[in-house]
Amino acid sequence: MSRNADLDRRTFLKRVGAAGAGAVIASRLPAPDPASAQDATVKPDPSARRGGTLRFGVHTAPAHFDVHQSGTVANIGAQSPMYDYLIRRDPRDGQTIIPDLAQRWEISPDGKKYTFHLRRGVKFHDGADFTAEDVKATYERIASPPKGVVIPRTPLFSAVTDIVALDPYRIEFRLKEARPRPFMLGAFASGWNIIVRKKTLEDNAGNLRQVMAYPGTGPFRHVSRKDKEVWIMERNPDYWNKGLPYVDRLEVYHMPPFSPELGSALLTGKLDYGRLLDPVSWRKAKETPGMTAAEFPQSVIQAVFINNKKAPLGDPRVRRAMHLALDRHALVDVVRDVAPMLVGGFVYPFHELSTPAAELVSKRLGYQKDTKAAVQEAKRLMAEAGHAGGIKNLTFLVRDAATFKLWSVAIQAMLKETLNIETNLRTVQISQWFEEAAAGNFDLGISAIVSTLMDPSDYFSAWYGKDGPQNYSNWTNPAFHDLASQIEREVDDGRRKTMVRQAEEILEKDPPLLPVSYEKIYDAWHNKVRGQNPSTFFGIYDVVRWDTVWVTS
Amino acid sequence: MRKYLLRRAAFGLSTLIGVSLIIFVVLRILPGDPLVAMFGLEGFAKLAPDDRARIMEDLGLSDPLPVQYARWMHDITTGSLGRSFFRGEKVSEIILHRGPLSAEIGLLAVLISWLVGLPVGIISAFRPNSLSDNVARSLSILFLAIPGFWLGMLIVLATLFWFNYKTPLVVVHLWQDPWANLQLIVGPAIVLGLGQGAYIARMARSCLLEVIREDYVRTARAKGLKEALVVMRHALPNALLPVITLSGILMGFVLGGSVAVEQAFGVPGLGRALVVAVIERDTIVVQNLVMLYAVIFVFINVAVDLSYAWLDPRIRYR
Repeated sequence: MSRNADLDRRTFLKRVGAAGAGAVIASRLPAPDPASAQDATVKPDPSARRGGTLRFGVHTAPAHFDVHQSGTVANIGAQSPMYDYLIRRDPRDGQTIIPDLAQRWEISPDGKKYTFHLRRGVKFHDGADFTAEDVKATYERIASPPKGVVIPRTPLFSAVTDIVALDPYRIEFRLKEARPRPFMLGAFASGWNIIVRKKTLEDNAGNLRQVMAYPGTGPFRHVSRKDKEVWIMERNPDYWNKGLPYVDRLEVYHMPPFSPELGSALLTGKLDYGRLLDPVSWRKAKETPGMTAAEFPQSVIQAVFINNKKAPLGDPRVRRAMHLALDRHALVDVVRDVAPMLVGGFVYPFHELSTPAAELVSKRLGYQKDTKAAVQEAKRLMAEAGHAGGIKNLTFLVRDAATFKLWSVAIQAMLKETLNIETNLRTVQISQWFEEAAAGNFDLGISAIVSTLMDPSDYFSAWYGKDGPQNYSNWTNPAFHDLASQIEREVDDGRRKTMVRQAEEILEKDPPLLPVSYEKIYDAWHNKVRGQNPSTFFGIYDVVRWDTVWVTS
Repeated sequence: MRKYLLRRAAFGLSTLIGVSLIIFVVLRILPGDPLVAMFGLEGFAKLAPDDRARIMEDLGLSDPLPVQYARWMHDITTGSLGRSFFRGEKVSEIILHRGPLSAEIGLLAVLISWLVGLPVGIISAFRPNSLSDNVARSLSILFLAIPGFWLGMLIVLATLFWFNYKTPLVVVHLWQDPWANLQLIVGPAIVLGLGQGAYIARMARSCLLEVIREDYVRTARAKGLKEALVVMRHALPNALLPVITLSGILMGFVLGGSVAVEQAFGVPGLGRALVVAVIERDTIVVQNLVMLYAVIFVFINVAVDLSYAWLDPRIRYR
């Protein structure tokens, strides 16, 4: 007889009552603190198959080996599996922050102290013990790099004044003033901030650019590497998370992103998993039985920069008119066979703090499918600014890449047809584009810029800040800068969201650049690869460790 | 003959010195910054001017140009050829690892060009204006007109969609796995070989047409020799001189063409390494690989000149 058959009416009512009361009490409890994620260390899945080789194709070879100093997926894609972070994004959803080398953490009530409790018994690949001194050395390097070392993530830790190893397994970050918790935790969980040995840094004078396989604590160990071809790793048998990783061998193939070469290698089964696929190969993979395809947003904006120092482009009305003259849906369509894109504004359209994409596309001028109203308003603004007859001879600096070349021609036509703005295209190689843009040798310039975090406080200062390193437009707006500074310090999520929306309004009225679109990432894999679905990931920089992935054959 | 040899060698050497100067100067005056590849877009944007200057100094790009040139020449004489800016790899290692693949492609392409071009040229010349001549000429014009990289891409797509086939992803040397090695080189070699074969066919045809009207060919026929013997023993050797010269020049085209064709086929040879180095602005790698191509080209031309002198004694004594 089954257990349920033994349940009498009285017992049943008691249990239902208890469960109901529990539910009522639970509903009155405060929402779970992010710290509740602290016991969510990834556990091995008993149903996962062990062994085998995973062949992963991603990006061309890294230009150097220093992950901290890098800003490209060329490093992250190949090297991440050999390292761990202090805390990490859950590989199951790509978003929730969970423990990694730090087993748990505490944030002081005033938000000025972050204390991390580190795991014991963790070993680097060279057999050395992992301690708080390694975390301290790693983060001191990131927060204040030594001479000759440049780390793009340094600004994320600008509020950190002291990093103190309280004992070998406790480390404390002291901040001069509180920062929003999602921002700080996001910074600690960034995939760029791998933990390296203090001794490694000391032995190499703090510069790892030409040190190929410095020891990490990660799930895979370096085996061999063929430049511009493949990086081979093996399972770390001493990995602290017992039972992980599942695969014995990981082969990371370096292939140009969005290239038919990468697509064909995946489709013919020479790779098990491909990242940064071109749209044609991705669609083919999606239709192919036995394969799965996923898309997810990336932390990159494609934009036209407007040199504010050149008249009449300093006039916000002219810039807004140009902003409204762009048919963004057409621009996404123009490059649909070259790179996957998404319509968006000045804030990542998929971030919780921004105006939802659906609202943006349905209601806001400049983003709607029907551009009539936007063009009408653009013409009115140009007339108001005294340029009803248009503007002639603007230099349009174009970065030499398929997407930018296609867009520049389309944007040139849109500006000419709607506002009679005439531009002369000048296509230059990528490194020259940045030189010319930094020197201000352009009127309009099209390129892509990236950020480490999706959080606005990261890119508001880098892209739109008065002296922001990626503010190629040389744009300033005191009201925005004040608001951005408040957003950086505001710890209340609700108030912060309101302020970000206010900032969006300022950016709409006085555009620092013309958002063209946001990049999406196309991944596809053969169904024998299990344990990973990046559909909910934000970008390709945080979850690239392959510790929870297995192959069925 | 020794004098002739020395004259050609001196000419080759002076050409190489000129080429090295051009490569060196062009790479220095071209706009672009290796730091973009090195730090990525975000990292590059956040580089302070001081840091940029320091890193350029570390890379040896801040030294005066004569110093940089002298250092390069020194590297060439020692055989190390310097190191890549980025990963610190020796250029000589890159050449040793990838060079055999490109060399195989080049040699196989030349072989294919002769195997295809000569018979087609002979058939065309001995049956002028016949159907076979017209077909051969049409095909040779077609292969002359089609860019190698485009034909390469078509072959890659056709084998992918019809046979679900892709070549190996990494360098496999002949001595490691001959079958995998052949898969890597055969596509680019066919594309390059057919293109050059078209030139060979046209040149062989026109030379043979001239030669077969000569008295000694008529005499050979009048003696009652078989047509095959007339062609192989009397006409062809005399018609081959311009074809050999052309083959030398075409070898240069094969080298140049292999850059684009290796890229189209995704073959990890020297041509592909050169493309990546250009994109990364890895000056040391680019200048050494271009120099290597120049050395090979000059060497082939000198060898062709010498073979010409060997085949035609009149040239030696001029």
